[in-house]
Amino acid sequence: MDAEALLDFDVLEKLLLPWAESVASPEPERVDVVLAAEDLVTAVSTLLDAHWGYLAAITGLDGEQLEVLYHFCQDAAVLTLRVPLPKENPVVPSLCGLIPSATVHEQELMEMFGITVTDTPHTGHLFLPDDWPADVYPLRKEFDASVVVGDGRTAAPSPVEPGSNKFIVPIGPQHPALKEPAHFEFAVDGEIVTDGAVRLGYAHRGIEKATESRTWTQDLYLLERICGICSHIHTLAYVLGVEKLAGVTAPPRAQAIRVLVAELERFHSHLLWFGVAAHEAGFDTLFMYTWRDRETVMDILENLTGNRVNYSANLLGGVKFDVTPEQIEMILEGLDFFDGRIEHYLNVVSHDGMFLQRTRNIGVMTAVQAEQLGCVGPNARASGVTRDVRIEAPYAAYDVFPVEPIIATSGDLEARFMVRLQELQASSTMLRRLLANLPEGELTTRMPRKIKPGETISRVEAPRGELLYFIKSNGANMPDRIKVRTPTLVNMASVMSLAVGHQLADMPMLLAGVDPCFSCNDRAVSVKSVGVDGRIWSWAELRQYGIDWYANK
Amino acid sequence: MNGILNILAILIFPSGIFLLLNGLAYEWVDRKMLARLQNRVGPRWFQPVADVVKLLVKEEVLPRDANHTLFILLPIIAVAGPLTAALYVPIAGLPPAFSFKGDLVVALYLLSLLTLCTGLAGANTRSRFSLVGATRTLTQLFAYEAPFLMALLGPAIVAGSWQINEIMGFVDGRWLLITQPLGFLVAIIGLMGKLELPPFDAPEAETEIVAGALTEYSGRGMALFHLGKVAELVIGLTLVATFYLGGVGSPLEYLLKTVGLLLGLAGFQALMTRLRIDQTVGLWWRYGSLLVIVQWLILAVVKFVQAGGAS
Repeated sequence: MDAEALLDFDVLEKLLLPWAESVASPEPERVDVVLAAEDLVTAVSTLLDAHWGYLAAITGLDGEQLEVLYHFCQDAAVLTLRVPLPKENPVVPSLCGLIPSATVHEQELMEMFGITVTDTPHTGHLFLPDDWPADVYPLRKEFDASVVVGDGRTAAPSPVEPGSNKFIVPIGPQHPALKEPAHFEFAVDGEIVTDGAVRLGYAHRGIEKATESRTWTQDLYLLERICGICSHIHTLAYVLGVEKLAGVTAPPRAQAIRVLVAELERFHSHLLWFGVAAHEAGFDTLFMYTWRDRETVMDILENLTGNRVNYSANLLGGVKFDVTPEQIEMILEGLDFFDGRIEHYLNVVSHDGMFLQRTRNIGVMTAVQAEQLGCVGPNARASGVTRDVRIEAPYAAYDVFPVEPIIATSGDLEARFMVRLQELQASSTMLRRLLANLPEGELTTRMPRKIKPGETISRVEAPRGELLYFIKSNGANMPDRIKVRTPTLVNMASVMSLAVGHQLADMPMLLAGVDPCFSCNDRAVSVKSVGVDGRIWSWAELRQYGIDWYANK
Repeated sequence: MNGILNILAILIFPSGIFLLLNGLAYEWVDRKMLARLQNRVGPRWFQPVADVVKLLVKEEVLPRDANHTLFILLPIIAVAGPLTAALYVPIAGLPPAFSFKGDLVVALYLLSLLTLCTGLAGANTRSRFSLVGATRTLTQLFAYEAPFLMALLGPAIVAGSWQINEIMGFVDGRWLLITQPLGFLVAIIGLMGKLELPPFDAPEAETEIVAGALTEYSGRGMALFHLGKVAELVIGLTLVATFYLGGVGSPLEYLLKTVGLLLGLAGFQALMTRLRIDQTVGLWWRYGSLLVIVQWLILAVVKFVQAGGAS
């Protein structure tokens, strides 16, 4: 079934009519269906039976009453199942029986909104620290940050029962394999991994909550700082969404420049990942070479935007800078350099026997698994699942300057290397076309200070896959809710399910294979005790311990 | 008089201070070369010495769950092994300080002491990285040790003696590299395995198990293990250069041949991706030992034919 047929109200109504309380289409590509909580599971299984879309995100909303939004995407179409809930004792059924990857979204819903999800497999904290007090839900409107004090008494989850004889190798939160904090525990039998568990949230900064108390313009700068690698793509998703809400379209030249920076950022991000992945495999020479080459794109970005990391290219209604003919010349030179290098690297990852020993047929994920686990981006495309927002739902200037889709079918680590490198070749081709036909005209357009009430969903293709923003305005100069669903969150599930049965030595490679970005993902620090009780220490206790230790020395 | 000379041989030359400084200098050559191949600047010449000095002045943390006697003793034994082995090896191109029949086998086993101590040190602590590292270190020992030993015995068979001094006399000017290329290959790669250089660095793969068996070591213990390793680097290079590269008859010859080998090793390291421990073991038992056995068969046949021709 193609998207248009399904966006035909008749078909969707026929599909969901038995349970729909009301159907609306707030935007041309979106359909909202209001359901009762008890009908949710049947409605979703009907959708799955009809092979309609994948679960992209679950958003919680707090207003007059609570509301849970289940976003399903297919191509450009977004179907949202809305379940209104009372503020007192809100309960929804779990979707994990049908869609296993829903577990992380449901965990987030539980800890952030205090909505009970019945029968969900994991009930612990996902992003919040383990000593977060019960009955305090940060994304509820009545939340007051000043009252939160951790009690410091709960333990982090572990893949095995306490007292078991299994041998657990911890990776993180601080570990040479991880450039950002996350905590993995792998139970091993000799060198073979038998179980794995992950604890995220070490870099959680409460940015979603913080956006609600800043103006639309201030949020632009805040969201840019969600991630240090893909900073531009976050603001791009945000400005496109807000412009859609305000009914404003940025001028074509601005859209083209946005795409230009986004694709250069993809170069920077993929080369960074390539180096890190080579380092995880113990091939440091490749690591050094890729990072040297990456300097070229960093210099281009610095020359264009004035910044090497947070480019600050986007404005609401346009972009901040123009591209001069000299800069175009410089970018083209850079692209020529990269074309040669990428060809060389493709040759290395597909022919170097030693490297292939570590990548070929390792971590194989079939297309069916990738669908089930809800993978996005290069990770899904390496398994033959065509998910690329740039192609399925072109945004900014991607309708004028399309990119060629890159798909591999083998689904192993080698395919993930090949897909990412070939993507850079496709980007290079596209950028040449864009630079040759850069539209003339204004860079900005007028933007109202207050945004009309409404909701929108903005999807873009970050270097790591689909990035989804849900933005709600209530007509004020600040947003009512901004929900960020990063690609790492949905891709992380694939690591844990692929880990079992592999060797411990493959774990860093598998982790690197999804190109995890924890600062994107986590948006509090807890320390595991060195004592026997394995509890979490609060900062004050840790400080006291240090003082006592030196006093008694 | 002889007693004083013996003490000098242990403390100053060929073992002791000279060997350690030589090892640290070679470590610098290796690190600098690797860095240049990897498009990095690399360390300054005194960096390896500075590293050791710094480690020696640092606090040594004793893990609570480890056996403290063993924890302190193991690094000392680890460095004593290579230092003793150096007495039987023509360090700096000069004849060995001591020599007796069969000293080749003794020297080779003294060299294995370091690896053994590393494995025990890892198993002695409760750190899970150390335990995995120790398992890998010992697994790898069983993988490369036999082929490496056999590869160094090849020249001994040709020379008809298991005494390093006598083999030196035999190989002087004869490049066995040409007649025994397979043995040379196994010996040089075995040396990389012994020193846990890439691609055989799975026992200390930092992205999986931090620093492997030595994760819990700091300060003095860490420094001693490090010194043991650089001493072993020098002895290994000397042995291979002596046996396969036409002997090391003078200090100049020694310098040229060992540094030449070292540069080759650095090049190897830059080219390779780390092997998983199962791949390492597979490589050694499937190819390494096979190659060296083929080499031995060729030697046996040649010896037999020569013996037939002479009679």
